Amino acid sequence: MSERIKKETLPSHGKRISAYVWVTLGVTLLTLLLHAIGMSGDLVNVALVYLFPVLVSAVYWGMGPAVYAASFSVIMFDFFFVPPYLSFTVEDLRYLISFVVYLAVAILTASLAGRLRQQLEMVKAREATTNSLYALSRQMTAITDLNTLLFNIATQVSLTLGKPAAVYLPDGQGDLLVTSSSTPESEGEKDVWGDGESEIAIARWVYHHGQIAGKGSSALRESPGLYVPLRTEEQIHGVLAVSMDAGEVHEQQEQLRLLEACGGLAAGAIARVKLAEEARLAQITAESERIRTALLDSVSHELRTPLTAIIGSATGLLENDTLFTPEDRRELTDNIRDGALRMNRLVTNLLGMVRLESGMLQLNRKWCDVGDMISVVLTQVREFSPHRNIQVELPDDPAFIYGDEVLLEQVLVNIISNAIKYSPDESPIVITVASDKSTDQLTIWVADQGIGITEAERLRIFDKFYRSESTQHVTGTGLGLAICKGIVEVHGGSIGAEPNPGGGTRMRIDIPLEAHGSRFPYSEQGEVEE
Amino acid sequence: MNAPLGARILVIDDEPQIRKLLKVTLQAHQFELHECGDGEEGVIQASIVHPDLIILDLGLPGMSGMEVLRRIREWSQVPIIVLTAKDQEGDKIAALDAGADDYVTKPFGMGELVARIRVALRHVAKTTDEPILRFGSLTIDLAQRQVELEGALVKLTPTEYEMLKVLASNAGKIITQRQLLQQVWGGHHHESDSHYLRVYVGHLRKKLNEDPTNPRYIQTEPGIGYRFLLPAE
Repeated sequence: MSERIKKETLPSHGKRISAYVWVTLGVTLLTLLLHAIGMSGDLVNVALVYLFPVLVSAVYWGMGPAVYAASFSVIMFDFFFVPPYLSFTVEDLRYLISFVVYLAVAILTASLAGRLRQQLEMVKAREATTNSLYALSRQMTAITDLNTLLFNIATQVSLTLGKPAAVYLPDGQGDLLVTSSSTPESEGEKDVWGDGESEIAIARWVYHHGQIAGKGSSALRESPGLYVPLRTEEQIHGVLAVSMDAGEVHEQQEQLRLLEACGGLAAGAIARVKLAEEARLAQITAESERIRTALLDSVSHELRTPLTAIIGSATGLLENDTLFTPEDRRELTDNIRDGALRMNRLVTNLLGMVRLESGMLQLNRKWCDVGDMISVVLTQVREFSPHRNIQVELPDDPAFIYGDEVLLEQVLVNIISNAIKYSPDESPIVITVASDKSTDQLTIWVADQGIGITEAERLRIFDKFYRSESTQHVTGTGLGLAICKGIVEVHGGSIGAEPNPGGGTRMRIDIPLEAHGSRFPYSEQGEVEE
Repeated sequence: MNAPLGARILVIDDEPQIRKLLKVTLQAHQFELHECGDGEEGVIQASIVHPDLIILDLGLPGMSGMEVLRRIREWSQVPIIVLTAKDQEGDKIAALDAGADDYVTKPFGMGELVARIRVALRHVAKTTDEPILRFGSLTIDLAQRQVELEGALVKLTPTEYEMLKVLASNAGKIITQRQLLQQVWGGHHHESDSHYLRVYVGHLRKKLNEDPTNPRYIQTEPGIGYRFLLPAE
């Protein structure tokens, strides 16, 4: 806006000069015209016509040109129309009264018109201010990231005032730092404004005293910048500063008001972002609290159950060895092994979750043969479920995907053991692999004919520690699927549960065949068979 | 083809509980057990007791398991089975490449460990350069470069044959991807070429009429390499 004001005020000097020229020209032409059409006899009408340039110059150029026009008109009128013609002497002294009245009317009109004009300009300037404030406030409400917000404040303020602006915010120790600053493009090469010792010192003073300081304000007037505290009701968030040129006092006042308004907006926006951040933190704390409780519950149950079995069986064996038949002893030892295996699975899952959560999970991507992977998975699954009927349908061409085979195997082990856990013993489990070259996706379905998952639960089962109500009787921690989801997503894929057409559940895993544009580099070598 | 009874085994592990477990169960399997709790002593013991096999924990305090392995390999070809915690994929590969014969992950089943011990011992015992390898219905004639499956000749490309040869002559033992690449392609290989292995293994399995999801001969050791399976006894 100020650029607009500047454009209007700076050339207005030139305009004012040309305005007098125009007035002179206009009145002269008018005089010639009046002479040409021979109105010289009708003095009243001539006087009225002479009011016209006065009004025009009052409306368009303000007070000065209008008074000039009035005086010049009187002179012309006197010289050319008032007898004796072509002389300044006045025949009838009553004309002098007319001149005075005429001048008074002209000046009054001019001043009225001029004031009107001034008001119009002021309204225009206010409108521009309002517009820029509105733009700023609209931007402020849309941004949720503090750094972007601060940058936008600095840029917008600097754009509005046409001067470099900076925002200071306290760091962790309460020390004020330039957090965001904008330098207009014309000064792009120069250092960022506001980073100097003295500037920071003033900003610090403003921050601690909560008062405006700098040029145009009541404190520290000699400073080249203007500093506004970003204050909301309860606290001061930071300082907004603008570098100022020497300007008119009234212009400074205007800019001070604008800057104050910007500061208020910025403070509100900063407070809002801070509050949102606090709310988010509180939510995270609550969530982690919930997870911790769930973890403790689940761990105490899931770890203690097998531990009880192990300790019970082992102490039984130790203390009453002679009581047991060889079969009993075998059963107790089996019990110990099963308990330990179960604990191992739980620990593996917990470790996996921790690794996923902490971002420690590093993908060790290689080209993996999906058929090969499934074979490894089935070997593992058969260890704890040897008699289950698992069918595999592989595509004719071996499918290769670029991923971490150990992690993907863990996903498949979890999914398949879930299918085993939640379906009757004699029902088949079908694993289908299909690769779609057009979408570059590999899809693995694991279908069981078990109890199925209700639609409401299809998304929730991938949440950490979520256990379906209907499956509370089956042991588990609710970690397996959460880990699967994490791993598949790290690979850029997706996982979901859908109803199996033949009853039960079908888990669907989609994984991109090729990641990061790495094409499978194999080409037939043209070897001849011996 | 039974392992020699009374073979002498040296256990190098810092956990007394694991040592005790190994001692009790392996002695029950008629092995002679020696044990020690740290790497440095392990290296010394290896040269004093002259074990037939060493079980080495990779996660030793002080001198690491890898260092122990390296030191022993400087002068001895004794079979070494490495114990590791499950997810140290890199460690397993490094150990195998550095000369370990096999690995067992913690927690391990005793049966598995004993089987691995037997395989490793048998491997050492088999000194004759048998020209014909037989695995059930599969016969590999190393002299003729011929492979027969259920009496019928199997046509293999030179690379496929070479891979089968390497795997089968180390039957029961794990071969890392790097070892396989080195032995089949010689020096002209790259660590990132491991996908070629997968393709060739895929072809090989097809020609050996293997069900890829339930392999009879070539088992994938996830992330590490392959193992040629010994026929069930």
